Amino acid sequence: MAGWNERVTDLSIASTMTFDDVACAFPASLQEALELMADEKTRGRLLAGGTDLMVQWESGVLAMPERAVSVKALPELRTIEETEADVIIGASVTHMDIRRSPLTQKHVPSLVDAAATIGGFQIQTMGTIGGSVANASPAGDLAPSLMITDGAVVLASVRGEREVPITAFWTGYRKTDMQPDELIVRFRLPKMPEGYREAWRKLGPRQAQAISKVMGSCRGCVEGGVVKSFRVAIGSVAPTCVRLYDVEKWIEGKKLNEGTLAEAEKRTSDSITPIADIRSTAEYRKWVTGRIVRGFLEQFADQ
Amino acid sequence: MVMAVKELGTLHSVGKGIPRLDADEKVRGLAQYADDLNVPGAWYGFVVRSPVAHGRLRGLKKDPGFDWSQVVVVTPEDIPGNNIVDLMGRDMPFIAHDVIQYLGEPVALVAAASRHLARVAGSHIRADIEELPPLLTLQDMVARYKEDPAQLHELASQTIRKGDTEKALSEADMVVEQEYSAGHQEQLYIEPQGMVAIPESDGTMFIHGSMQCPYYINPELCETLDIPPEKLRVKQSAVGGAFGGKEEFPTLLAGYCALLALKAKRPIKIIYDRNQDILYTTKRHPSWSRYRVGVMKDGTIHAIQTEFLLDGGAYTTLSPVVMYRGILHAAMGYRCENVAIDGHVYRTNTFPNGAFRGFGAPQALWAWESMIDELAEACGMTPHEFRLKNCLHQGDSTPTGGILRDSVGSPTVLEKTLERANFSEKLKQCSHGRRGEKKWYGIGLSFFAHGSGFTGDGEARIKAKVALDLEPGDDGKPVVNVRVSSTEMGQGTCTILPQVAADALSIDIRHTAYPMPDTFKVPDSGPTVASRTAMVVGSTIFSAGKKMKAELEAFVSAELFDGQPVVLEQDRFCGSYGDKEMSFEEAAAQYLSRKGSLRVYDQFKLPEFIKWNQKTFEGDAYPAYAWGCNVAELEVDTLTFEIRVTRVTSYWDIGRLLNPVLAKGQVEGGLVQALGYAMLEKIEIKNGKYDADRMQTYVIPTTLDIPEMDLHFVEFPYEHAQPGAKGVGEIPMDGLAPAIANALVQATGIRMRDLPITPEKLFQMMHEEKTA
Ligand SMILES: Cc1cc2nc3c(=O)[nH]c(=O)nc-3n(C[C@H](O)[C@H](O)[C@H](O)COP(=O)(O)OP(=O)(O)OC[C@H]3O[C@@H](n4cnc5c(N)ncnc54)[C@H](O)[C@@H]3O)c2cc1C
Repeated sequence: MAGWNERVTDLSIASTMTFDDVACAFPASLQEALELMADEKTRGRLLAGGTDLMVQWESGVLAMPERAVSVKALPELRTIEETEADVIIGASVTHMDIRRSPLTQKHVPSLVDAAATIGGFQIQTMGTIGGSVANASPAGDLAPSLMITDGAVVLASVRGEREVPITAFWTGYRKTDMQPDELIVRFRLPKMPEGYREAWRKLGPRQAQAISKVMGSCRGCVEGGVVKSFRVAIGSVAPTCVRLYDVEKWIEGKKLNEGTLAEAEKRTSDSITPIADIRSTAEYRKWVTGRIVRGFLEQFADQ
Repeated sequence: MVMAVKELGTLHSVGKGIPRLDADEKVRGLAQYADDLNVPGAWYGFVVRSPVAHGRLRGLKKDPGFDWSQVVVVTPEDIPGNNIVDLMGRDMPFIAHDVIQYLGEPVALVAAASRHLARVAGSHIRADIEELPPLLTLQDMVARYKEDPAQLHELASQTIRKGDTEKALSEADMVVEQEYSAGHQEQLYIEPQGMVAIPESDGTMFIHGSMQCPYYINPELCETLDIPPEKLRVKQSAVGGAFGGKEEFPTLLAGYCALLALKAKRPIKIIYDRNQDILYTTKRHPSWSRYRVGVMKDGTIHAIQTEFLLDGGAYTTLSPVVMYRGILHAAMGYRCENVAIDGHVYRTNTFPNGAFRGFGAPQALWAWESMIDELAEACGMTPHEFRLKNCLHQGDSTPTGGILRDSVGSPTVLEKTLERANFSEKLKQCSHGRRGEKKWYGIGLSFFAHGSGFTGDGEARIKAKVALDLEPGDDGKPVVNVRVSSTEMGQGTCTILPQVAADALSIDIRHTAYPMPDTFKVPDSGPTVASRTAMVVGSTIFSAGKKMKAELEAFVSAELFDGQPVVLEQDRFCGSYGDKEMSFEEAAAQYLSRKGSLRVYDQFKLPEFIKWNQKTFEGDAYPAYAWGCNVAELEVDTLTFEIRVTRVTSYWDIGRLLNPVLAKGQVEGGLVQALGYAMLEKIEIKNGKYDADRMQTYVIPTTLDIPEMDLHFVEFPYEHAQPGAKGVGEIPMDGLAPAIANALVQATGIRMRDLPITPEKLFQMMHEEKTA
């Protein structure tokens, strides 16, 4: 709020800067980007697809910075690769890249399903996985599918690289474990083991271009009606996306029947305390999260 | 059942799916919208607004540290005339000077060389306001109404009385009572509001921009600017959607621009961004209806008593007429000799609510068509049996005692829709909330009429005037220009009116054109609202075209064909002796070179037998009605209570189809807008402000949300307004919400009486039912 009058009524005058006033650097390599970020005098707001930032700047939710550093085109951040155990996704990989890659389709299928529900084609083509994760919104649709892999965020600075477990990366509402000189370079996601399945469910107000009311992913394995393994994460019901460890632990080893399904549903609902906002009510979110988890288990049981 | 129409002639353009005449320039990006207008020397205007919803303005403070020499500021003292927006009430100022009635009410106007600087300057002006408690929501308004209406500030009221309703209610076998409500709806046209005011050297103020009704702005602004009407020129730029949102609101924007232009002595442009457009323009009125309806055991409706309340927002604006249309539709469609309706509009401290496609009818019909299903149930009848038993037929009388003389699509549209949708069979397959199913299926019905043209005495007062000009076109060839103030805003006016003119003259449509309305060039054919253009303006053009045809035939006969009788048919003048023939183009060129251009005027006249009492609301509220019937099918996911409308089947009688492709487009678009109203769109008020203020938070349907649509027309042309159209603009908005609510009952057993219909509400009501 740069104006003299604190009680302005338009979002449009909340910021008295325009995007033209932002000095944007386009480093040619990762090393150059890290060096820019290392020095307070050249450091700028990291900018990938800009699909979150441009909106937040325009609406005044975020003040426009003096400087920005664009990482979208850095070749080091644009690849999807695999090792024996993991899929490695660069931070500037777009949602559309994720949808189209055979590696992600095979090894992290719910991430592909999630990416397909983000915005529309334009947003999927501009928006990146790094931007989505760094934006740290509890409604970020990629979060649950990342969490259930028990994978890691790889951060880099001139000081070197470090890995943070995805489950520990978001420290609060729109807060992350990143340092000011760091950027996300890639994600290391353990592949879905043989015989396992993943599922994704998003509830939004409409069929596309929808911010989630509640969404979640699970990875698991059910054999002979008995849950061998089950990991589940839910977004939009807490300040960050959450893993439901208690429910996971409780259901593992249980035979799926109406009794255990109902209990899993109840335990799920009991384990969260969502809030009401413009998209949904607290009561519905609490109830429907239980229903989604039940739906996941039913889906696995059907196999 | 299509009637014989007198003197219609053969139709060659009317009835054909002629591509929109504006399609080419719009597809190529050539159309000039308000923001595209390049106005040399223009500055940008900005509106400084009250940050509180209700209060007393003590004064304005300007930051002494800001360089004011680079901007122009307008406050009430700068207004040359009266600080009044001359709509139905004269209670709204252009710039607040005393009481603040809504959050966002203008307290000053600013202009500067850049949009950015104007905004920055605006943030250096502070209104000093003594806050008063506001009344913000429909819920609070209704609570006060139930307690004691005297606590509310009434902006308008009206009653309808037929028979003896109290007595009839006491005679009825059963009396069913229910309440329904619906919230705001934003028009969300693609192009936000935008306007330019250009002060010209001769003292003319030229207003150019996005609008539906050029002749609203002139004369409404004359009093404020203190200039005579002939010094106020208003021209429409290309309009990217309006839906009523550009009916009365553009007067405000034109006023802001013009007031700044007078002081700055240069052109001023204001283009709202989406956030401003949602926060500070009109919306559909939130509504509340309460019914007490007496029915007999055999399923006849014996008495209808209803109250219809609208949340008017801060000022009167057009709210009285919106309420009139609401009450005129609140008991429409069915036979009943005892009707008592009370309509009220009350003030709340939000932006004044205003015109939006349907204009009160969607609110009224949402309640009434839900109520009809509840009545059917009370009588132990199916929704369709009850409607077939009670619906109006030709010769029946409406709630105001008007007689449905002709062009009555009831019960045809109802019967045909039921058959097409296989309604009675599918009704038996509904789930009624049965346990153990993955999806619940439901089917629901609604049946409704929409009055064509202005409500009540409107058309008689306006007397729509049109002109046709035969003149040289840009290419020098003769062209018949349709001169009307009726605007193109995406709905097809600029195509259907030339179609009508072409057929009246019996010429090819390529000889006709529709120039953008400009009040210095066109007569006042009235505003482009109320589903009136096709019927009222179309028929007036038709008769003007017939006049021009006769004039040209006389000319060709006398001056070119040696006095033999001549007819113009299918683009050719033919002498009756069979020896002479001439193309329209050639003869018209002859006319232009010998006599100069030809202007023909005409004026709309209601048929003599249309009688209306504007005080008592008795008689023919509308000259004719369009009729529609919707069947909605839906599925509820029993895991999450997500609701998906899968299919809509409907028949429409909109009179003669002028252009079936455009008509279908209107119906499809209207149904999508109605789907949003029914299931998605909502605005709540947080701290005096709308919580949904961007497209991120104001959620409308996407293409993926649209159900399969099976749409059909049956034509009952309206003989007294040839070629017989009755209007299609609004009726598609009217009936989908209740059809969906009625389907939801069949699917789940839950009756939703408040819009929108959401999974959250379904969950809450299911839960309450279980615990009850
Ligand atoms: C119309 C629309 C619809 C949308 N729909 C959805 C939806 O359905 N679901 C959904 O989840 N999201 C949606 N979004 C949000 C958005 O598209 C995603 O969150 C997107 O992935 C953000 O990526 P980006 O590259 O555009 O990020 P940017 O906007 O460029 O950046 C976002 C944040 O990440 C930081 N950042 C970017 N790159 C890095 C990096 N390498 N390291 C560290 N920090 C970094 C930036 O500084 C900023 O704080 C939508 C957005 C829009 C505009």
